[in-house]
Amino acid sequence: MKGKFIAVAVAAIFSVVLAGSAMAEEINAYMGTSPENNVKIVNFIKQKTGITVNQTFQSFGEIEAKVKAEAPNFNADIIVGCGSPLAFMAQKNGWAVPYVSSGWKGVSEVFMDKEGSWYNIANFSFVLVGNKDRLAKAGYSMPKSWKELLDPKWKGEIIMPSPLSSGTANMMRFAFLALYGDDAGWKYIADLDKNIHHYTRSGNAPTDLVGRGEFMLGLTSDENVKKRLDDGYPLIWTVPDEGTGYDGTFALILKGTKKQATAKKVIDVLGTPEFSALMAEIGYVTPRPAPNKLYGQTLPKYIKIDLGKAAEDRPKNNDLWKQKFRTEFK
Amino acid sequence: MATAELSVKLQSSSGSKIKDFLNANMVNILAAFLFLLLAFFLLYPIAAVLIKSLRGPSGFTLQYYQNFFSKNYYYQSLINTLLLGAINTAVCLVIGFCLAYMTTRGPWILRKPLKIISLIPLIAPPYLFALSLIILFGRNGLVTRALDLHWELYGFGGVVISQTLAFIPLAYMMIESTLMSLNPNLEESAYDMGASEATILRTITIPLLAPGLLKAALLIFVMTIAEFGNAAILGGRTPFLAPDTYTMITGESDFNMGSVLSVVLIAPCILIFFIHNYLLEGKKFTTIGGKPVASEPRKITPLIKVPFVIITTVAAGAIFVCFAVVFVASFYKILGVTHNIVLSNYLDFTSNQAIYNSIRVSFVAAVIGAVIGVLLAYVIVRGKFFGRNFIEMVSLSGFALPGTVLGIGYLLAFSAPPLKLTGGIMILALNCVFRFLAVGVEAGISKLHQIHIEIEEASADLGASFLTTFYRIVLPIMFPAFIAGFLYTFMTAIVSLSAVVFLVSPGFELAAVMIFDKAVYGEVGLASATTMKLVLIVVICMMILNYISNKTRLGSSMKKTAAV
Repeated sequence: MKGKFIAVAVAAIFSVVLAGSAMAEEINAYMGTSPENNVKIVNFIKQKTGITVNQTFQSFGEIEAKVKAEAPNFNADIIVGCGSPLAFMAQKNGWAVPYVSSGWKGVSEVFMDKEGSWYNIANFSFVLVGNKDRLAKAGYSMPKSWKELLDPKWKGEIIMPSPLSSGTANMMRFAFLALYGDDAGWKYIADLDKNIHHYTRSGNAPTDLVGRGEFMLGLTSDENVKKRLDDGYPLIWTVPDEGTGYDGTFALILKGTKKQATAKKVIDVLGTPEFSALMAEIGYVTPRPAPNKLYGQTLPKYIKIDLGKAAEDRPKNNDLWKQKFRTEFK
Repeated sequence: MATAELSVKLQSSSGSKIKDFLNANMVNILAAFLFLLLAFFLLYPIAAVLIKSLRGPSGFTLQYYQNFFSKNYYYQSLINTLLLGAINTAVCLVIGFCLAYMTTRGPWILRKPLKIISLIPLIAPPYLFALSLIILFGRNGLVTRALDLHWELYGFGGVVISQTLAFIPLAYMMIESTLMSLNPNLEESAYDMGASEATILRTITIPLLAPGLLKAALLIFVMTIAEFGNAAILGGRTPFLAPDTYTMITGESDFNMGSVLSVVLIAPCILIFFIHNYLLEGKKFTTIGGKPVASEPRKITPLIKVPFVIITTVAAGAIFVCFAVVFVASFYKILGVTHNIVLSNYLDFTSNQAIYNSIRVSFVAAVIGAVIGVLLAYVIVRGKFFGRNFIEMVSLSGFALPGTVLGIGYLLAFSAPPLKLTGGIMILALNCVFRFLAVGVEAGISKLHQIHIEIEEASADLGASFLTTFYRIVLPIMFPAFIAGFLYTFMTAIVSLSAVVFLVSPGFELAAVMIFDKAVYGEVGLASATTMKLVLIVVICMMILNYISNKTRLGSSMKKTAAV
């Protein structure tokens, strides 16, 4: 008898566990901003439209790989936050559903595709961060130019993301190539490599590792620096004299979605001034101008970048990077 | 049996013919069905990985393998991985044995606390130790700063230490259960006859434990080379295959090279699997889930006692400290940087859904896994069909299968129609079922070997149908195996990162993956608090399960006495 009772109980739990998910308007998204910013965006959308966005955090590079692997049967309905390589690739291969959103009326064309294949919800750049305490203890001052990072005194004290998995690192690499030209650019990257302790998986990780004093300097994505400063990390940040690169954070509707109407509502709300204000508050440069939390009124100096070419060159540059830095074990 | 068949034939009318046929051939039908499941969910994904590693855009090629072996980087990666596996396995076995010896043969007061300390980390994600180590011994860690040390945690050494700490609990759990099922009378009589402790250990305990130790070694080796959390966080520039495979697939979406890396990862595992089988040939099984026998505390000679106590103290102390760090860290925004105690990490509910999902997946996987495990064991032991050995080998091969391989395999095999399973709970659950199946199957096999087939035959002779016999006789006997399979699958599925990380999809986040992301992102407080919540919930689940299984074990043993 007891056995039967337990069998029934297990079966009951089993069916409850297997079933169970909400009925409200829902959408599945790939979101590549940091985990904490993803949550902010999800909450914003929920608050403004009532739509529940399901997401798992992945870096830009990982989302790109996933979408490429899944094409053309995507497991998500929409992307909110991927890098330019994927946005351009999706446009080219027809993976995106074009939609001209009324919510984006009046936004500069730099931030949106004419046919509505992609929308750039926020620009981000990379900055140099340093650990105040560690720098003071070593008696070093914060470098003023990228060239200064080549000084042997930084050996093993600089950390940056890996371009194989991070979109931010891809942007850094392309910015240096654009700044110095191909030959001198690669030479700079190779020289810098001698001082790099190791390459992290995600573009934000260096901020944290430098903040905790594990390393003195870090090349990192700018979007999270403000939050880390507020959290109380002993951080100092700067944009070196030569300037910085930039990339967009793109949103697009994935082909094959059964929830186009919901997806369009999400795209619409991303074009509102309130959303720009939210992203600027985090530290992004936004499609609708809003005071930026990190930079204030004056935006940093930008290195001139062709995002389309950056996207196209990415595989080639990845191969080159691997050839240079991953063939021999160091 | 023969008379039964005869009488069945005599009585059979056309209507019950089908029923009789079913009764007589149930084992074969079941076997065929189970084999289909194995082929589909285990062999097919592995084959998919193999094929992917051999097929480029223009047909079959060895180019990817050539690529692997011609590059120093990968070569080094392979060596590091194997070295890590070997060191890890050896150290875990020694420490696990010492801990298990102390908790089964040592003084009473030590047993419970040691056992709890050794088992608690089992339900925390393995890479937790990397986090704790950075907080304590990182370049700017609390201990490093306090003692003004200059060492380098990032690299091979750091990975070995964190990975070893992470897998001691598994080693302990497996060795402890074999030690428990070892009848202490043998050792005690040797002791009474004047044999020294060392002699007893050398000539009785360890030889009798050998099969269990070997199994534990195999399992730890396979798990350790596939689990990539610690290596990804602490590896620095030292390459290891598991995190490389992960970057290759998720970062570069290079499925060809990713497949090559995982095939290379399988090869040593298979080799060790066969060595293990060869060494165990003809030896009696001493397995997980045997009958536990409490042994009286023994006077342990100082020669044995001193090293055992030292090893035990160091290991348990290290585990305890690392775990305590996580506990403390969960109350700080960032431990070591900010200094106010906060509860905000616990009040952050974004991870609740992920924890819930993890428990759902593990529960579903554990139920399905335990059922399939028991059925497979039955078919393997009682079946008389062609290919029985093959089924046995396939279902036990899970022991030798690194998680990354099945993760990639499932991604390759089930992400496109008509077999689209990605996105949702079932692919995650099924993946866990077939990865962790081996433990349940083996426990089932050893249980079935303990009872003679005559009881079942008697039942059939008395006119019971196959199902009745199975339900009334086989199931109660196999219940401990069912529980063993269930618990192992449940616990490993909840914390393991290596395969599921490829399979999570939006709206279906798992706690282990989420904690990893938070940890890598430096949200140490949140990661720690989520871990503590997970541990708490799993402990409660385990207590409930334990309660249920105790009740039923009582019930089934009563049934057994009634049957006798």
